[in-house]
This record gives sequence, structure tokens and C-alpha cells, in this order.
Amino acid sequence: MPNPKISRRNLLGSAAAAGGLATVFGPWKHNRVYAASSDKPIKIGITSDASGQYANSGASDRRGMLMAIEEANARGGVLGRKVEHVHIDTETTPATGSRVAERLITREECGFLIGAVSSGVANAISQVAQRYGVIYLNTNSSSPTESGENCHRVKFVWDGNGANFSKAAIKNSLDAYGGDVMLVTNDYVWGHDTAKATRSLVDQYGGSIVDEILVPQGTRDFSATLLKLQQAGPNVVAAAVGGDDQIALRQQVAQLGMGDKMAWINNQQDWPDVYGLPLDNLFGVFGTTWYYGLDLPGVKEFVQRYQEMYPDTGMRVPGNVFYNGYMATKNLLDAIERAGTTNNIAVIKELEGHVMTAEERMQHHDAVIDPNTHQVQQTIYLATANEAPKEDDDMFKILTQSDPEEVRDQNSIGACNLESYEDTPTFDA
Amino acid sequence: MIQLIPHIINGLTLGLLFALIALGFTLIVGVMEVINLAHGAMFALGAYFAMTTIGGGWFAGTEFGTWWLSLPIGVRYAVGVVVGPLLAACAGMVLELCLRPTYGKAPLYGLLLTFGAGLVIEELIRHYWGTGEQSLTVPQSINGAFFMAGLIFSKYKFFAAAFAIVAIFGVWAFLEKTPYGAIIKAGAHDSEMVRALGYDLAKLRLLIFGFGAALAALAGIAMAPIWGLRPHLGIDVIIPAFLIIVIGGVGSFWGAVIAAVLVGLAVGITGAYAPAWSMLSMYLLLIAIVGFRSRGLMGRKSALEN
Repeated sequence: MPNPKISRRNLLGSAAAAGGLATVFGPWKHNRVYAASSDKPIKIGITSDASGQYANSGASDRRGMLMAIEEANARGGVLGRKVEHVHIDTETTPATGSRVAERLITREECGFLIGAVSSGVANAISQVAQRYGVIYLNTNSSSPTESGENCHRVKFVWDGNGANFSKAAIKNSLDAYGGDVMLVTNDYVWGHDTAKATRSLVDQYGGSIVDEILVPQGTRDFSATLLKLQQAGPNVVAAAVGGDDQIALRQQVAQLGMGDKMAWINNQQDWPDVYGLPLDNLFGVFGTTWYYGLDLPGVKEFVQRYQEMYPDTGMRVPGNVFYNGYMATKNLLDAIERAGTTNNIAVIKELEGHVMTAEERMQHHDAVIDPNTHQVQQTIYLATANEAPKEDDDMFKILTQSDPEEVRDQNSIGACNLESYEDTPTFDA
Repeated sequence: MIQLIPHIINGLTLGLLFALIALGFTLIVGVMEVINLAHGAMFALGAYFAMTTIGGGWFAGTEFGTWWLSLPIGVRYAVGVVVGPLLAACAGMVLELCLRPTYGKAPLYGLLLTFGAGLVIEELIRHYWGTGEQSLTVPQSINGAFFMAGLIFSKYKFFAAAFAIVAIFGVWAFLEKTPYGAIIKAGAHDSEMVRALGYDLAKLRLLIFGFGAALAALAGIAMAPIWGLRPHLGIDVIIPAFLIIVIGGVGSFWGAVIAAVLVGLAVGITGAYAPAWSMLSMYLLLIAIVGFRSRGLMGRKSALEN
């Protein structure tokens, strides 16, 4: 029979083993400190796409972030600390987005993550970010679920979403062209969520959905879709097709001259997707959050700063994707400065409910970061092709501008359930 | 049924365009047993070369450039269709020279090298032409739409399909009716024997690679007005091209053409009736055909099967 006597050595050994296990498996929340000294740079992980469907928009998004970072460093940094960045390509793929986020947080020790165009990727990144408590700015993805059921305490959504854009466009189109609407939907989260928002608005305004054509991501030939549209003959086509798919669709609609055969609502039009294309590719009406031709204070100077920083880029003027990347990054850095700390919870509280003046945003109305959904409520513009451009780049004609309250996505408010501060790991970046 | 006819026509035209994409790929795989993952990059490069030729970008700001732009678009387009593939053929031949140290080694070396070359070409395109979307201008006479049975069809797509038919028969005639084609086919069958008969195998491989790249470029020029033109355009090509040659049987010319038409029909018809499945349909076709006939529709019988 073994000796039941508990020796001091055994007791100490057991205590050490229990402590070790508890550290690994215990329920305690880890509070990390990345930066103890003020000379350590603030490190931002850029999670924009450099390949895949949104490679082009990802590059524009990134340029916006880099300009904001450079401007902050030129002012002497943030809290006296230099701002550094690391970029890893998220490949427009959610699984890659998760891996990139994990690596940027755990290996590169980035205290903040910024960037997305695809909602699937943004959702994947934000799940990882929430697990570590790292603030993540979804700059350019527009699925309503991003600030609805997929919202997170650490995530802030800077673009207008599908519901905002639909609200701005649907009623006008139904009144003008008739109530039979056909949906052309990219077969992934943003497409589905935008189509859902459109359906509900069409119902609300007395229209009816004739049919929905689901377009898989990566589709390059839209002939079957366009034939089907002709056979169905709807009054209005509400398209939620993005990135390279949308470029191919536009090109093929323009070739067939179908742009004016039925009323097209292209939910949102990202500038990098159309820049440099012939004007007949820009058929129908579409939403945007910003245009370089807005006659507002600060716009000209902003364009000039862009041109000075990127003299060689083929895109001579900034668009909405660049704008969102810039605004998100700038406002994050400003929030850190206002908070006087890089503690994530303090910065989150600074961002929540923060009001940005119209002048600061270079938009027609003040914008606010909704504290309940973390989406920026902002002016939404409805635009179409500019038949009388002042210069080559002047491609859009702004038709209307909507107050943020008029186009607010009410469904997100009910669907979003932010994690509590207590359930969000805290740390100083 | 009547409603189905436009979709069948659409599938056939799409299939012919897929065949054009797969031709150069199958030629290189069949003759050299190299899976050229830079094929997509050559596809994009050819389209960019043609675009710059048509738009006069090579000699912008010169007197010649002004004269060039004063020529009718049809003439410039025709020149672009020749210059683009020729320049891409040169790039293809440079790639073949780089590939030489990998001959006789594990296939992975060639695979990695062509994969890397594809990335380099894509970056070069990005550097020279920029990251944004571009457009390849086509003559007005083949642009726009026409009506058939009350539906609108694209003139250009039919032109591109006709162009693909001409290219397919041109390549077939070259392989079947010329002594060069005979040497290429013999090289695919037994390269050692071809060498023993006194033919320069190195030159033959150079020619094949150049020819394959030129065909990729031709396909790129045909497809750019439909798919758009951007640096990573080539990525859209590799998977369908690879799939088509596997369905058709590796190295089989007509196998590739038939497989391409089947893929086109599958994508076109599912695009109409089950659009969410349209991209997946080509993979299902692959599983269905390779599941029953592992060497593809017209692939050569393996020695192991005897």
C-alpha cells in the first residue's frame, strides 16, 4: 500500500501543476499589455484584400488607411507614439481573413485591425478580433448583417450598408418605373442580406418581387442572367453584385444596350469598380457615400493631398473606398488621442456615439457612430452616370442626398446584440 | 422548350470561347507535359498588349502616335489582334528558356516555376498598366446588340465565338496539315525518337511554348471585352482551362474542344434554371465524366490499362 502521507514536496508540486493547468484552462480573462513604454509604436494590422474579387478595391482601401497614418505621423504620432502598420493579404476569402487576423494579433502584436471590402471576410476577421478584444474597423463591406446579427463590441462599420442604399433608391424607382422588381443577387452574405433588405422595402412600398437570380461569386458570363431578365421583363432590376463580377455584368449589359431597357438599381457602386470604364457601363442608379466632385469644403484639399501622396496611381482622384479607409483610420487615431490611452475599452467608449461634423466628413450631414450597432450613420448619395462631365474623372452625377435618419437601417438595431464590456478582453495596445 | 433555345445558343458560344482558352493550355500539357500555370497570366498579358496597341499607348505623344490614332478602329483592332499574341509568344519563349533546367526533374519544379512566373507577370502588369479596370476597344460594327426571336443578343459574343471557331480550325490545320504540326505531334508521342531523327527538340519546345502563349493571348483578346481587363484576369482562366483538358483527356485536341462546349452548355443552361449552381456545374461535369472514364473523353489509354 502506498504511503498516504502528503509530503511538502508533493504538495508544492501539485500546487505548481494545478497553477499551470489553471493558467491554461482556467476561466480567467487574460489582460494583455503590449506596450508598457510610450516609445513603443502603435501597431495597426491592415486586413485588406490584395487578391481575389476585391483586390482592386482592397488596394484603394489600403491607400486611404496609409494616408491617414502618414498624416498622423507627420503631426508627431498619436499620444507621442509613432503609428506603424503591417499588411497581410486577406485574399477576399473568409478563411484567410481568420488566419490573417489571428497572425496579426498573436504574432505581429497589432493592437488594432483595419480593412475589409467583402462582408464574409469582415465577419471572419471580427470573430477573431472579438476573441482577443482587438478593435476592428470594417471599412468598406456593406452587408446589413455586419452591424446586425454579426455585430461585435470591437467592430465598427464605416460604409453605408445595403439597407441604407436600398432605402435611398427603391421608393423613387418604384414610383417612376413600376412595381415589378427582379433581384440579381451575388450568392454570398452581402448579396443575400442586401436582397433581403430590398425585398422588405419593395413590400413596404407596394411593389412585388418577380424572381431572384442568384449569381455565384466569380461569375464572368452573365448572358444566361441577361436572357432570363429579358424573358421575365421586370420594370426594375435591383442588382446586388459586387467587385469583378459587377464589372463583368456592367460590361455585358452595356454591350447589349440593356442599360436603358429596364430600370437598374445597382445597390452600391464602388469607385474602383468603375473608374476608367466607358460611360455606358455606368447605367442605372446607384448609391455611394462620397464623391470627389461634391461641392463641399475640404473636398478639393483632400483630393490634392491624395494626388500628392499617390502621384503615380492610375486612379487620379480618390473614391468612396479610399474615403472610407481614410476616415475610419483617422477617426480611430483621433479616438485614441481623445481617450489618452490605447486601452481598447477606453477607445471603444470614445468611438461609440461619436459625432463627426459634416465639415469633418466632407458630406452634407453630420454623421454619428451608432452606439447600439457600431455602424456609422451618414449621408447616402444616389447617383447615375454623368452625361456632361467637367473632366475625364467626373463620372458620377449626384441625384439626391439623404439625411442619415431617413435611410437608417432599423432592422440592424433589433438584430445587433453587442457583447458586454466585461465579456470583452481588455488590453493596452 | 422554346425558352430553352436561347440558353443553348448561349451555352454553345460560351463553350467555343472556353475552347479557345483551353487550346494553348492543352497544347503545352500534351506536348511538353508541363502544366503551365502562367497560362492565365499570358492570357491577360496578350489582352493588355493588344489594348495598348489599339489605343496607341506604345507611341503616345509622337507624330506616329497621332497618325496611328487617326486610323479606323477596325484597322488598329486587326493589328492589335496580331501584335498582342506575337508579344505574348515572345514572353512565352522566355518562360520556356527559364524552364529548361527543370526538364527531367520532378514535375513540381516546372509547376512552381510557372506558378511564380504567373505571379511575376501579374505584378508587371500591375506596375506598367496600373491596378484599375481597363477596357479593350472593339470596332463599332461588332459591338452592340441584335434581336433574335424577340431577345437581345450580343454581336460581340457571336463575333468572338466565330473567331474561336476560326482559331480552332486554324490550330487543327496547323497540327494536322503542316510538317511542323507533324513534328509537334511526334514530339508529344515520342520525343526521343524525334531527337534521334535529327530534329532540334529544344527549338521545338521553344516553338510550342511560344505558340501556346500566343493562343492564350488570342483568347485574352477575345474575352477582354466580355470579362473586362484587370491585372488578375488570368486567375479566372486557369481553373476552367485545367478542368476542360482533364474532361477532354490530357493532350487531346478535339477532346478539349468537346469538353469546352459541354462545360459551356452546362454553365449556360444551369445559369438559366439554377443560377446558383452555374459555377458548380462544371465541377459536377468533371466528376461525372472522370468518375466513369478516368482518362477523360478522348484521352489516350494509359500503358497500365493494357
